[in-house]
Amino acid sequence: MSWQNQRVDDRLIHGQVVVAWGGALRFARLYVVDDQVAATPWERDLLADAAPGVGVRILTVAEAAAAWPAEQAAAGGAMLLVRDLRTARALVEAGAAVPRFTLGGLHYAPGKTKVAEYIYLDEADRADARALLARGVELLVQDVPAARPQALAALDPGVAP
Amino acid sequence: MSRIPALLVTHVDLGAALVAAAEQIYGPFEDVGVLSNTGLARADLERLIRERVAAWSHGGLVLTDFPGGSCQQCGLLAGRGHDEIIVISGINLPGLLDYLHNRERYPVGELAERLMAKARDSVRVQRPPQA
Repeated sequence: MSWQNQRVDDRLIHGQVVVAWGGALRFARLYVVDDQVAATPWERDLLADAAPGVGVRILTVAEAAAAWPAEQAAAGGAMLLVRDLRTARALVEAGAAVPRFTLGGLHYAPGKTKVAEYIYLDEADRADARALLARGVELLVQDVPAARPQALAALDPGVAP
Repeated sequence: MSRIPALLVTHVDLGAALVAAAEQIYGPFEDVGVLSNTGLARADLERLIRERVAAWSHGGLVLTDFPGGSCQQCGLLAGRGHDEIIVISGINLPGLLDYLHNRERYPVGELAERLMAKARDSVRVQRPPQA
């Protein structure tokens, strides 16, 4: 079964991930792909404790790209988290065959414009989204399992190639 | 003993609602801040918590709603390196009321343990009497 969902969320592990997605998918492993977190021991420890009952694995982009095929063949389900589209793009460009990313939470910051209630993008984000779409990666917007997934390109013409 | 301050960090308006409910039972009170995570990225929530607890010269309690959630994690990130800042998750109304009654009686560590026990003990399963 393995990869069940790949999510872009600037909060990484939090309530929606643990309760809503964890309850719906029953994934056995939760991958956090983030070079900064992977390099910070106390932050690794903090995230490792944030999802009780789930095997939390914190990897760099390079480590995750290398681990992608083995996880794809593993028993049980897995969910993957990255904090932004830049990391999502880096993961794909490093060789991970990610079929789609679900944008679950990219919150407001100066310079970003609203795409959905919980998705704000700037021009750098849009460039990363275009690069992912050009590689055939599907980009959806969906915060929780009960919500209807929508194509990012349908919500934001700015990401159209 | 000086009063131990607290900051409620919760999803949506839960913190404000807890304060309103507690004021109805306890009466008006001060030194309890409220912060919602609505619309905030992890880094922004962490920064706002850090700004709010910066004035706590003798420590305090960050009270959050959900273990493993962004409020708890950002509270821990914001309090990193401060021995006297303690993060509690799973706060409920009995726990908040117990904090209000005892925040000038105990040092922060003992107050946190007491609050946790009170909040935990208040979750009960009972069946109504059968006529």
